[in-house]
Amino acid sequence: MEDRRKFSREQALIEAERCLYCYDAPCEKACPAHVPVPEFIQSVRTGNLKGARNIIREANPFIEICGVICPEFCSEQCIRGKIDTPINVRQLHKFVTDNTDPEENLEPAERTGQKVAIVGGGPAGLSCARELSRLGYKPVILEKDVVGGIPAQEIARTRLDEEIAGKETGFIVKHFVEEVKRAEVEFVGDLLKEYGAVFISTGLEKEQEPDIPGTDLEGVFFAREILKNVRKGQKSPAGRRVGVIGGGNVALETAAVLKAEDPGRDVEVIYRRGLKELKAFREEIEEAVERGVTFQFMAIPREIRGDAKVEGIMVTRARLSEPDESGRRRPEPVENSDFFIPLDTIIIAIGQKAGEKFPEIEKTAAGLIKVNDKLETNIPGVFAGGDMVNGACTVVESVRDGKKAAASIAEYLERGKA
Amino acid sequence: MYRERDISIDFLGIRLDSPFILSAAPSTDELELAYDGLKEGWAGVILKTTSVEENPVPLKYPMMSSFGPQSRKVTGLGNIDLISQYHIDVIEKRVKALKESFPHKMIGASIMGAKKEDWQSLVHRLKKAGVDIIECSFSCPQGSMGEAPGRMLAQSVEATEKVAGWVKEAAGDTPVLIKITPQVTDIVEVARAVKRGGADGITASNTIPSLLGLDIYTFEPYPSLFGKGGYSGLSGSAIKPITLRTIAEIARNVDIVISGNGGAFNWKDAVEFMAVGAGNVQFCTLPMHYGFRTIRDLKSGLAGYLDAMGFKSPADIVKKALKNIYSHEEIPAPKTRAQLIEEKCVGCGLCYVACRDGGHRAIEWRSGNVPGQDDSRKPAFDEEKCPGCAMCMQVCPVDAIRMKEQMDGRCQYYEEVR
Ligand SMILES: Cc1cc2nc3c(=O)[nH]c(=O)nc-3n(C[C@H](O)[C@H](O)[C@H](O)COP(=O)(O)O)c2cc1C
Ligand code: SF4
Ligand code: SF4
Ligand code: SF4
Repeated sequence: MEDRRKFSREQALIEAERCLYCYDAPCEKACPAHVPVPEFIQSVRTGNLKGARNIIREANPFIEICGVICPEFCSEQCIRGKIDTPINVRQLHKFVTDNTDPEENLEPAERTGQKVAIVGGGPAGLSCARELSRLGYKPVILEKDVVGGIPAQEIARTRLDEEIAGKETGFIVKHFVEEVKRAEVEFVGDLLKEYGAVFISTGLEKEQEPDIPGTDLEGVFFAREILKNVRKGQKSPAGRRVGVIGGGNVALETAAVLKAEDPGRDVEVIYRRGLKELKAFREEIEEAVERGVTFQFMAIPREIRGDAKVEGIMVTRARLSEPDESGRRRPEPVENSDFFIPLDTIIIAIGQKAGEKFPEIEKTAAGLIKVNDKLETNIPGVFAGGDMVNGACTVVESVRDGKKAAASIAEYLERGKA
Repeated sequence: MYRERDISIDFLGIRLDSPFILSAAPSTDELELAYDGLKEGWAGVILKTTSVEENPVPLKYPMMSSFGPQSRKVTGLGNIDLISQYHIDVIEKRVKALKESFPHKMIGASIMGAKKEDWQSLVHRLKKAGVDIIECSFSCPQGSMGEAPGRMLAQSVEATEKVAGWVKEAAGDTPVLIKITPQVTDIVEVARAVKRGGADGITASNTIPSLLGLDIYTFEPYPSLFGKGGYSGLSGSAIKPITLRTIAEIARNVDIVISGNGGAFNWKDAVEFMAVGAGNVQFCTLPMHYGFRTIRDLKSGLAGYLDAMGFKSPADIVKKALKNIYSHEEIPAPKTRAQLIEEKCVGCGLCYVACRDGGHRAIEWRSGNVPGQDDSRKPAFDEEKCPGCAMCMQVCPVDAIRMKEQMDGRCQYYEEVR
C-alpha cells in the first residue's frame, strides 16, 4: 500500500511554500513542545533539512515519533487556515525526519550537578532527562519495563519504524541520561535521600474498561495488548469476527492491524459517535477503510454476551445531542433501538486510567496526581507530569511536561543550594 | 457560436483581430507551429529570426534554464538559443504558405544580417514573399552579426540609425520594427536613432542578458553543457517591470509606434504594456510554457476588461497611464500613513516583522503575550513613527493594509490591485 503519510519532495516544497512564516506564530504557541514551526518550515523551503531537523529536535526530543503520531495542535491554529486550508505541519515534520539522519554524534553535556530520579522512562521522563542533562544535572531513570514508553512499544509497525523509534529513545538515553535502573517504584519517599529531586512520569497503569457486563468473557482483549503483541512479531489471539470498541487512533490502528494480519477476518469498529467525531487521524481512518475495516457508528455498547466465550455484543443506537461546553456532542441512546452484533472477539480501545501507586502523594478524584503550575506535588522535591497528571494525553504534551518539570526541578535545586 | 466582442486593433496599418501576437521564438520556428498558433486564435506571428544562407547558426542544447519558487518554477526563463537555423530560403516559403492559409492574420518575419547587402536582400526576399511586417533583431543577447559581433546592435546609437536606414530603404512601404534591448545607457537615444533611421516602429524589448543560476555543488552555470555554460537571455514574468519602464520611457519621449514585448504573461500585463504606450503585445514565454491555448484567456480577459472599463477598443488603453508617470522630483509628497483594513487581517504578523526589522518600527503587535494585553493579533500603527513606506502593505498576504495619503486638504487611499 502506498504510504499516504509521506510527502514527496514536490508536495513538501509546495506545502512549505504555502506557509506564511507568521510572526509570533500561533502554530508554535499551540504546539505543547513549542516547536518553532515557521522556522523549520522556512528551512524546508530552502532545502536545509538538517537545519530543520535541528530546530524541531531542539524543542522536541521525540522528533521521529511525533512526526507520526502528533495530533497537530499546531495545524488547528494555523493562520493559513483562515485563507484556505491549514498547513499540514506534521507531514512536513515527517518529511524532515524521513529525509535526515536519525542519529548524530553529539557531545554529551557536562553533568556536574545533583542526581535526579525520574520514575518512568516514557516521553515525559525522557524529555525531562534531556532538559536536566542540558542544565548540568544527572538524570537517572527508574523503569520497570522498557525505556521509551507507549510510543516505543505500542505504535504499530506499519506506522512507525520500530528501529527508528528505538534509535530515538536510545539516542536520548545515550547522550542525556546518567543511568537507567531497572526498578519498580511504589513509594517515592526513599528516593529523596539518594536524589536531589524526583520526577514521576510512569504513565497510566490500568486499562479503562467499558462499564458493561461481559468484559470478563474469553475473547475480550485490550487493544494495547494486541498492539504490543503484533509489534513483537507474535500472532494476535483475535478470531474471525472482531469488534473494536472505541474511536481513537488506537482503535483504528488495532482494527487495521488485525485486518492486515488476516484479510479474511471481519473487523468492525463500534463507536458511540459518528464518522465526523472519530478522534483518529484522517490517514488512519483511510487506511482502515482501505484494508476493509467496517464501522458501526452511533452504537453504544450495552452488554457483551456469551457463555464462557464471546458470542456477540448488544448495542443501542445513539443520536448526538447539541455540542456541550467542550464542543463535543454527546451520544444519547435512542429508545427501543437495541440490536445484537454477533462476534467472537472484542477488543477494547477506550483508554487507560491511573493505578494505585504512590499512596503518599495527593491525588485527584480521578486518581491522577495533583500538581501545582510548576508540576510539583504535595511533597516538596517531587514533581509529576505526563499521563499520570493529565489523564491520557499525547506524546507532545508529555514532552511539554518533561521540559516544564526540568525547569522547575532546576529552580528547586538552585534554591536548595542558596 | 456566440459573437465575440470586437477587440481588434490597427497596428501600423495592419488590422489585428486582437492585440496579441506570437513573437520571434521557437514557437514560430516551424511552419506547423506558426500555423497552429494562428489557428488557435493568435492575431499574428513574427517568424523566428532568419538570416542569409551563408550564415552558420551553431545551436547548442540544452538551451533553457529557469528560476522561481516550486509552484512557479518559470518565473524567469533563460535561454542560450540563437536565431533560427532556417535561412531565408525556407522562411520565404513559409511566409507564402501562411499568407495563403491566413490572409487576414498578420504574417511577420524577423531578420538579422551582418552587412548592408544581407539586411537588404533579406528584406527584398521577404517583401516578395508577401510579408506584412518585418522585424529586425538588433538585440539578441547570444550574439549578433555586423559591425561589432557579440555586441548587440541596438547598444550603438550610430549603428542602430544606420542599419535601420538600410532596412527601411529596402522595405519601402512594408512596415519595419526594430527590436531593441533595454540594456543601454539611454533608451531614448536609441529610440530616436530608430526613428531617424526611418523605421516605423520599435519592438520594446527583448530578452535581457543574464546569468541564470549555478549548481552550487559543482559550480556549473545553468544551463550546463558538459560542465560549461554562459550568459542567457532572460524572458518571462521576471523582466516585466523592466519592459514596462522601457516602453514608458520611449513612449514619453519619442513619437513612434511600439510593439510591447518581454515579460507579458497574461492579459493584465498586456493592458499595462498598452497603458504605457504599446500598440500591441507580443508573447513568447507564455505560449512556450503553457501553449497556444493561452490566447483564449488573453482575449476574453481583455474583452471583459474593456467592457468593465467602458472602453470601445483596445486602442483606447494605449498611453492611458503616461500622464501619471513623472520624474522623482515631480512626484508629489503627500503625508502618508499605513492603515489597516481590520476585517481583512488574518493576524499573521508579517507586517509587524517587516516594519520592525525593515526600517521603521512603527507597528505595535497586539499579541496578548503579556497578560492583560490586547490579544487581537492585529497590528497597531504608530502614526508618529510611520512615514508610510508601504513595506507592510507589500508583505501582507491578504492585502489588508492600504496607504492613506493626505495633501492639500485632500485625502486618498492607495491599494495595489493585483
Ligand atoms: C528560446 C528563445 C528563443 C528566442 N529567439 C528569438 C529570436 O530568434 N529572435 C528574436 O528576436 N527574439 C527571440 N527571442 C525573444 C522573444 O521573442 C521575446 O522577445 C522574449 O522572449 C521576451 O518576451 P517574453 O517575456 O514574452 O518571453 C527568443 C526567446 C526565447 C525564450
Ligand atoms: S500558523 Fe500556519 S502559516 Fe503561520 S507559520 Fe504556522 S504553519 Fe505557517
Ligand atoms: S508603511 Fe512602512 S513604516 Fe509605516 S507601518 Fe508600514 S512598514 Fe512600517
Ligand atoms: S500582514 Fe496583513 S494579515 Fe498579517 S497581520 Fe499584518 S495586516 Fe494582518
